[in-house]
Amino acid sequence: MTEQTTKQIAYKYWDEISEGEVLPRVEMAVPFEKVILDAAATQDYFPGHHNPAYAQHQGQKNIYLNTMAIEGFIDRVATDWAGPHTFIRKRAMNMRASIYAGDTMVGEGKVEKHYAQDERALVDISIMISTGSGPCVPAQLTLELPRK
Amino acid sequence: MTEEFTVPFPLEYGSYEDALKLVGVKGDPIHAEFTVNWEMIKVYCAMEEDPNPSYWDEEYATKQWGGIVAPPGLLLTWGMALQWHPDKNRQHYFVAMKIPLPGDTLINVATSTEFHRHLFLGDRLYAVDCLVQVSEEKRTRLGVGHFLTTRAEFTNQNSELIAVTTNDMFRYYVPEEKTPEENS
Repeated sequence: MTEQTTKQIAYKYWDEISEGEVLPRVEMAVPFEKVILDAAATQDYFPGHHNPAYAQHQGQKNIYLNTMAIEGFIDRVATDWAGPHTFIRKRAMNMRASIYAGDTMVGEGKVEKHYAQDERALVDISIMISTGSGPCVPAQLTLELPRK
Repeated sequence: MTEEFTVPFPLEYGSYEDALKLVGVKGDPIHAEFTVNWEMIKVYCAMEEDPNPSYWDEEYATKQWGGIVAPPGLLLTWGMALQWHPDKNRQHYFVAMKIPLPGDTLINVATSTEFHRHLFLGDRLYAVDCLVQVSEEKRTRLGVGHFLTTRAEFTNQNSELIAVTTNDMFRYYVPEEKTPEENS
């Protein structure tokens, strides 16, 4: 596959990016199947991710996505926008509310800083992951991108 | 609650003072059970609905990175414990799950990772982690417990640094007067 044939894939270059730029919104449904697939895909069988009774024992209303699933979705919001040539240098996130089976999660982001450091072409972005219940996971990423 | 879970999640139990004694003590070195493999990468990307060709397309990934790379979000997965092993008792490998405290459950709260280089197919991950801090008892909307901060360094089979993670977890119990409805 080449850049020419992957028409649906975006390739953003550092020089093309401006502070304040808004990232395209990414939405993904989280049915029960997705939460179970998450446990299997990440080898994380903590029962809050597959056992509704345990999740309720924890004070949660249902089984919920784990950290790795949310990390991957945050990274996808970044790379769907910037392209597969992005190297994620740093990702920080706070899980303020859980994302439950039955939710739809939405990722929205914005470019906060555009700069070069030690010859690296970097972009800081902020991303918020929300569900119908409101904001759940604010995240901050530093991306390294190629120059044009 | 109309249903009971049957097997409590295995955790170490003890007091806040017991946990404090472990601050600064490194956990056992973790040698990942799983080598980095394309099959697990594809399952993870299918879950994320992530079309990034760095994970799917050998030709693109080779040109861009030198080969198929692992999604950064899979970092912890390579070192997760198997559910059963013929020669080992089931145990947690990461130190955050092995701290003696009163709470019978836990939830991850915050995580921050700096990435230094990619993991490639066939790589083997090693990790060393450490308890950095334990908070005094706190009461949150979920329950009563302690916040644990841990730090982990991940390297590949060539001792090259892959990533450094700092993680905050809440180890807690739900007081009897609290119901799931109150949390929703």
